[in-house]
Amino acid sequence: MNDAGTARDAGTRRSVRVVVVDDHAIFRSGLKADLDSRIDVVGEAGSVDDAIRVIAEQRPEVVLLDVHLPGGLGGGGREVISKSAQLLGSTSFLALSVSDAAEDVVAVIRAGARGYVTKTISGAEISDAVIRVADGDAVFSPRLAGFVLDAFGTSPAEIADDELDRLSARELEVMRLIARGYSYKEVAKELFISIKTVETHVSAVLRKLQLSSRHELTKWAAERRLL
Amino acid sequence: MTSPAQRPPLFRSGDRMIAGVCSGLAAHLGWPVKYLRIGMALATLAGGAGFVFYAWLWVLVPTADEGARRAARPPASPIAPAVSSPSPAANGFARAGGPPSARRPAPWFTGGRFQYGKELLLGAGLLFVAGILVARQLGVDLPLGTLIPAAAILGGAAIAWMQLDETRRAGLVDKTKADQAGGWVRLGAGLALVVAGVLVMVSGSGSWEQTWLALLASVAVLGGVALVLLPWGLKFWKDLETERAGRVRETERAEIAAHLHDSVLQTLALIQRRAGSEQDVVRLARAQERELRGWLYRDQAADSGHLADRIKAVAAEVEDTHGQVVDVVSVGDTAMSERHEALVQAAREAMLNAARHGGGAVSVYLESSDTGSEIFVKDRGPGFDPEAVPKDRLGVRESIVGRMKRHGGTAVISSGPSGTEVRLSLPAAAAGQDERNGEGRP
Repeated sequence: MNDAGTARDAGTRRSVRVVVVDDHAIFRSGLKADLDSRIDVVGEAGSVDDAIRVIAEQRPEVVLLDVHLPGGLGGGGREVISKSAQLLGSTSFLALSVSDAAEDVVAVIRAGARGYVTKTISGAEISDAVIRVADGDAVFSPRLAGFVLDAFGTSPAEIADDELDRLSARELEVMRLIARGYSYKEVAKELFISIKTVETHVSAVLRKLQLSSRHELTKWAAERRLL
Repeated sequence: MTSPAQRPPLFRSGDRMIAGVCSGLAAHLGWPVKYLRIGMALATLAGGAGFVFYAWLWVLVPTADEGARRAARPPASPIAPAVSSPSPAANGFARAGGPPSARRPAPWFTGGRFQYGKELLLGAGLLFVAGILVARQLGVDLPLGTLIPAAAILGGAAIAWMQLDETRRAGLVDKTKADQAGGWVRLGAGLALVVAGVLVMVSGSGSWEQTWLALLASVAVLGGVALVLLPWGLKFWKDLETERAGRVRETERAEIAAHLHDSVLQTLALIQRRAGSEQDVVRLARAQERELRGWLYRDQAADSGHLADRIKAVAAEVEDTHGQVVDVVSVGDTAMSERHEALVQAAREAMLNAARHGGGAVSVYLESSDTGSEIFVKDRGPGFDPEAVPKDRLGVRESIVGRMKRHGGTAVISSGPSGTEVRLSLPAAAAGQDERNGEGRP
């Protein structure tokens, strides 16, 4: 996932304004040092309440948001997003987590985050992900793709009961390749489509994940105590 | 739990006629159950001694399950896995599930043996009544005025006490509400019988009118007492609940502390001692991370021994031996079989190759569905030409391709400058060709 953004955007755009939200100061400073020159960190916060305040003040393009945060009503990253909902048009959220748990990840995505990356990925990869989110695209890690396939099932749409409730055959292919560890560029090459098309498919999947009331998804979420 | 010379501890057995006292005693003494039961019955005839002894044991001797819980051992201590063992999956979290389900006693009324016992009891009771009737016919004067109330008290007490039996209570928790309601009905019926029996006995006469009045009076008194004691009772109950909740929290906290101590602190100590070796530190940290994740996020319902768990365990092993991160994403799961074991072994070989030659993280994706299982192992190494591998190199040709073929699956290896991917596919048993095989062709 470390090439498309770089190739397309290098030099052509100004730096992206980012707020970093994480309750560990060490992690925040480490992350700030890791992010490359395309990223401009304009604010930091360590709790839900601080985050909501700083985001409202700074109006950043992207918020790097830890899923688990102290403060507020205990809702963590999900609460930050839902309380900053009026900014969702101009501000995008990229969830950042050490957690592997599906409920954590899917909860922030359904709250409105544009993607999810694990804290173990490199600074360059996080920078690319930030740029991609700032461009309005979605960022899927292999694990998130795995969750999506788990929730929507692995067979393509046949009966279109609700367009939101199933993934198309193409979207499934894209999700499978991402789960297998392919970058967007590799996915595009594998399927003989453009990176832009891959991004469109991924964004469509993200929208479905956020909006679908698919029975399996709600059941799946309920089983994991999401709802 | 015991050395052969020792006697097994005295527990009530799950293999029971009434409450498992006799079979438990038999196991404890090493005598045949049959003799104990006959002896107990004979002793009952001797002025009810056997009955009293039985009841006494019933009340005081725990079931095997309760006993096991009482003797619960402290949690097993998984030590920092990276240095101690290549498969931390095996030494970690066995304790999570509590006592093994196999030891759960059969529910009280559905246990096969007991249904039989219930009929026996009923038959005995009927025979007893019949005996009394015959005796009356023959002109023997029996003190019915005493016998009937006594029988009522005994019966009522038995019905109510059965409710308190621990195994029965455990059974109730598992069952539906309807059954719990049934439990309350039984308790009520038992109480009513006992009260009626006592009243008739005390009033000494069979006069219906008198008994009725006495019943009303005693119910009124009981109601009054209950009204007065209710607030205390409620408060006591609440205190009990809070205390129990507190204890549960305390136990949880203690378990977490024990786990952190046994694994995380140990690893941190090791990391400090080996700070010089970057590879060791990374390996330790990664192994500890994996263990902690497994502990925190593990799906309690998931059965181990399934394909996804096996693949994760194998990935962990490869990670430990080669110090290379292996990320596993799995969708769906399936039970293991001999063929799946072959799939796991082939996947292991692919992961080993990827970790050895790939460089950088290895991605493993497992997808299982009704039609079959597929595993993709991808690395980002320089790649190699599968055709150019010498014939005598067993690794790829034999361990991966050959093994998959022998078990009715396929293995495709595609390699390019941006990495190598091994695709293993195993159709569900006898399902023929896996139609999704062509998906994502290069």
